[in-house]
Amino acid sequence: MSRDLAERDDGIKRRDFLRVVGVTGAGATLTGCSTSEVEKLLPYVVADEEITPGVATWYTTVCGGCAAECGMWVRTREGRAVKVEGNPDHPVSEGGLCSRGHATLQHLYHPDRFHGPMIREGEVFRQGTWDEAEQLLAARITRARNPQNTTDGGRVMFIGGHMGPSMSRLVDEFVAALEGTRVDHDAISDAPLLEAARIAYGSNSLPRYDIGAARLLLSFGYDFVESGASPVEHGKGLSRMSAVNDETHTKGTFVFLGPRLSVTGLNADEWVPIRPGSEGAVALGMASAIAGPGGGGPYANLLQAYSPAIAAEAADVGVEAIEELARRFASESPSLALGPGSGAHHRNATAANLAVMILNDVAGNVGTTVHYDTAGAGGAAGASNGYAAIDQATTAMASGDVGVAIVHGTNPAYSLPAASGFREAFEQVPFKVAFASAMDETSALADLILPDRHFLESWGDSAPRPGVMAIQQPVMEAVPMFDSKQAGDALLAVSSRLGNDLGAATFYEYLQTQHRDFAGTTGSDFDEAWRQALRNGVVEFAAPASPTPQLRAPQTALTFNPPVLDGSGDLTLLVHPSARFGGGEFSNSPWLQELPDPVSKITWHSWLEMNPHTGEERGIRTGDIVTVESPHGSLDVPVWLYPGIREDAVALAMGGGHTAMGRYADGSGVNALDLLPAVAEQPSGALVTLATTVTVTNTGTGRRLATIEGSSDQHDRPIAPAVQLALLGEAAEEAEEEHGELMELQGVGGFVPVPAEGGAPGAFPLEGARHGEYADAHEGPRWAMAIDLDKCTGCSACVTACQAENNVPWVGEDQVVMGRDMNWIRIERYYEHVDATQAGDLDVRFLPMLCQHCGNAPCEPVCPVFATYHTPEGVNAQIYNRCVGTRYCANNCPYKVRVFNWYRYTDAVPEPLNWQWNPDVTVRDNGVMEKCSFCMQRIRDAENRAALEEGRPVRDGEVVPACEQSCPAEAIVFGNIRDPNARVTQVVASERTYRVLDELINTQPAVNYLKKVTFHEVVSEAH
Amino acid sequence: MNKNWLIGSLATVLALAGLAFVQGGGAEGGEAEAAVVQPIAFPHNLHAGSGEEQANMNCQFCHFSAERSVDAGIPPVSSCWGCHQVVQGRNNPGEVAKIQGYMERGESIPWVRLYKISDHAHFPHMRHINAGLECQQCHGEIQEVGAEGIQTRGGLAGALFGTDPGVHENGPVWRGDAMGWCIDCHRQPNEAGQQQASTDCAVCHY
Repeated sequence: MSRDLAERDDGIKRRDFLRVVGVTGAGATLTGCSTSEVEKLLPYVVADEEITPGVATWYTTVCGGCAAECGMWVRTREGRAVKVEGNPDHPVSEGGLCSRGHATLQHLYHPDRFHGPMIREGEVFRQGTWDEAEQLLAARITRARNPQNTTDGGRVMFIGGHMGPSMSRLVDEFVAALEGTRVDHDAISDAPLLEAARIAYGSNSLPRYDIGAARLLLSFGYDFVESGASPVEHGKGLSRMSAVNDETHTKGTFVFLGPRLSVTGLNADEWVPIRPGSEGAVALGMASAIAGPGGGGPYANLLQAYSPAIAAEAADVGVEAIEELARRFASESPSLALGPGSGAHHRNATAANLAVMILNDVAGNVGTTVHYDTAGAGGAAGASNGYAAIDQATTAMASGDVGVAIVHGTNPAYSLPAASGFREAFEQVPFKVAFASAMDETSALADLILPDRHFLESWGDSAPRPGVMAIQQPVMEAVPMFDSKQAGDALLAVSSRLGNDLGAATFYEYLQTQHRDFAGTTGSDFDEAWRQALRNGVVEFAAPASPTPQLRAPQTALTFNPPVLDGSGDLTLLVHPSARFGGGEFSNSPWLQELPDPVSKITWHSWLEMNPHTGEERGIRTGDIVTVESPHGSLDVPVWLYPGIREDAVALAMGGGHTAMGRYADGSGVNALDLLPAVAEQPSGALVTLATTVTVTNTGTGRRLATIEGSSDQHDRPIAPAVQLALLGEAAEEAEEEHGELMELQGVGGFVPVPAEGGAPGAFPLEGARHGEYADAHEGPRWAMAIDLDKCTGCSACVTACQAENNVPWVGEDQVVMGRDMNWIRIERYYEHVDATQAGDLDVRFLPMLCQHCGNAPCEPVCPVFATYHTPEGVNAQIYNRCVGTRYCANNCPYKVRVFNWYRYTDAVPEPLNWQWNPDVTVRDNGVMEKCSFCMQRIRDAENRAALEEGRPVRDGEVVPACEQSCPAEAIVFGNIRDPNARVTQVVASERTYRVLDELINTQPAVNYLKKVTFHEVVSEAH
Repeated sequence: MNKNWLIGSLATVLALAGLAFVQGGGAEGGEAEAAVVQPIAFPHNLHAGSGEEQANMNCQFCHFSAERSVDAGIPPVSSCWGCHQVVQGRNNPGEVAKIQGYMERGESIPWVRLYKISDHAHFPHMRHINAGLECQQCHGEIQEVGAEGIQTRGGLAGALFGTDPGVHENGPVWRGDAMGWCIDCHRQPNEAGQQQASTDCAVCHY
């Protein structure tokens, strides 16, 4: 941070200097600069047929961000990727893309990427050539495998993270040819879930859920919206099942059972705040109540032992709550129970996952809302075994058994607790190789780094589920300044140097060989099928159907009781994957660092979540820095008081505290794993993250949190109102109630009455929209947006999508602390009813807040230079070149959606990270105000395309702003509200429609919200 | 206040010194119009002119994307070479031969950019071409400009008032960032007597 500040100080001085020069009337000092910077027009030598300058070319590929393998569309301009989006034709993600998916673009252009192979010389690395590096690796492998070598000999070990099926096969072949070992390790592993599926049904892949079809959804602490196995798919499912049907007035119920409300949890209708680790007991208690005496098949005896009363005791909630929930789970069919997955990796995690599977089974959900692949039809091979395997590898490395260790796509030196001894053991290996595109904690220990390509520069494939396959294709030439090589190509090259023929010279060739059976034939049919697969971005085929499996008894005894925790602290430590950084592999992205955490709204640094009552008892307030101490380590971290966590627990997210990852990750936050023991859960082998108790002591110091949150309370204002499900249908009448006469302050005439009908959703063009030259424009489109708050999950994908699309700068932690965050959208999160002490209703409201494009915009009349005004198309425009930075508009904006460039944030973006900028959007300089433009460039692009096609009008759905495009929950709709058939017009016709603060201050926004629907009575807000 | 005063006086001294430097050092024509030296003395007139011995080519033969893109497109070297493999050029074969050099070296021709619209304004070429505008309406009688090229105003005047590509007698009518000139055209009435194009700021600025 201090580095950034220094630059900014310098910037101010220079700016002051130039201003004074200008005043004295002599620009002579500038002459030298401007004439020496002659801009060149550099044509292609030979034009690329696929590239038209100024026209975007789109390619399909597969997101390489996580194992969910969502389909992706990549927008390229002049051969550079500038934006990634979800592929609507892909059955997994259906057009959605999460924040982390968007941020993968930053890793492509990351200034911390290696410029070439790095060879260790003593304490430092020297950049070498690929020839040299591959020669070295081949020579070291040969040397290590020489039986006569007793000093630095040993076997070859390959430690890999998630990879596509073909790459995985290649690694297997590579390792087999060298008689080596392969170990898989992911920072976040679903091993307990997978192991439970194996025990219960003999399935070798993770269960698949049809969340959208459920009427009653239970999550046992599973954070499927932000983490989990497939966040976009599952988030979409949640939104589909829980959103109200405006015609039938029905909606599904979502109940969250867990000690802490994650973003997933905040979406629940009810919260059962069970004790950490009691998931298994609760699920069995419910299953027992449903199955009745003797029910439960092979688990009948087990269910006999777990009555609801025992479950209630273990979970620290009322027995009625569990019995009632069990009754509903059986009757409101189809129901679905999820989890606990990575939400609770404790010492009995496999048993807990198995218990939830038993619950689904006794409720008859298997084959309807939950599916197990028992036919071995392919699909994701499942999760890697999180810890046990790498623990064995560590032992082997420590014993001198390993001569060459190769790491690819994983970072165990960061993602394992220090107590695992991985770092020390890895350091002992005579020759260590890392395939990594940028430095991380593991690569920093290596002797040789082979810079891997980013997935947007690579070939690959994916098989996210049976019957679905997609090819990952390079969407651009590799970024030229990084001399990188795809790991697959490097492995093939090294293999061939070692005299092992793996059947292909390049990974592309290898990949094609793997998919020869595409069309059932070869030759031209194959070529066509291949092209088709690339064009569509997905291939769907009939997978062998899995028969509905029968529940099996476990081979070995499992313990379903709450786990034993280490230490004698009075608080249980919950360590969970970060909604922004996952397990820490995304931490070097400034977009994600500055993304407000969906729960806490804190950017950049780490925080400890603690219940306000617990804080009050100990005199700890938000912002106090505390020492968290477990038997395994201690950390100093600021506290954030959060009513969504049990009083006997505290929570820390993963992903902070990097030491060797790069300029944006290092030093930001703390690594929660430092508090954990290195214990593998049995029998799955996952790393236990719910393992220990802690003590928390106030250090007496504090800090201002880098939060964007003003208040978590609506203060009785109808900012994010809700409506009770039972009242739907009557709500329309209620809205017709008389209001007091609205008054508005005019420049001339003082307070004058304004039309009160403006708040009616159907009124368009807006009555009383008088401001601006085009207030009376009644032709052409009138752009408007609808956001359904009953669908919004608060996942924050739109925030990063907007940042990527609109060149929104990041400002850094110190600037966020000063309130200078610049995101054009923020997701507001208001607590209405959150009770961590007993099972009951939960009411938390999410509200994506962006420029409301008011018909009666308060910002417009106060601009002295007419830089903000209303366009004839109903958009509140901000003209950057006109703006002189008075900031009057921001002061007058009741929604706080205008942000100001205090510094030259964009100038500070290092090459080539600035390549990610969207060439269709002005990059703003300091002194300029900015805000949501309704993606004006996309509107213009659609208009331009329509004009080229015989001047046809823009079709509905053709203009899709970045936020709508990205939204996994399908909550946002944009369009021309003058068109009665437009989607937005039809959505806005809902009785739930309202506009924020419109009834109060008559701003007449173009952004329409649809109220959240609750089951319980809505009490607290003003109407 | 103190700091500003200090910076102010320092700046004044420096500025005066700078002025003196330019006045002295630039005496041999620094104030005059500096010719832009293009890497190849390209004659627009021989290619696009309709006179005798002129090829009368359509502008979009080379500026290939003007009709379908925001950018008009600069012809790839291979496009020049496509013809000039055969056409040796009677007037100035040395310049033509340079193309072969670039082609063989696989280099771009580093043309000096004369037309530059500011980053905060967006000019979609295709909308204008498709609205029936001739290239000349903005770019002047470019098909009559010879190998001497378009001159720009250099030196102090260029620095103070911006590079102005409008000094050639056949040069462009569009004068740098003169937005008024755009607006004048947008305001022109069409056949129906209505303004022919929007003058809304956000049409170009976003």
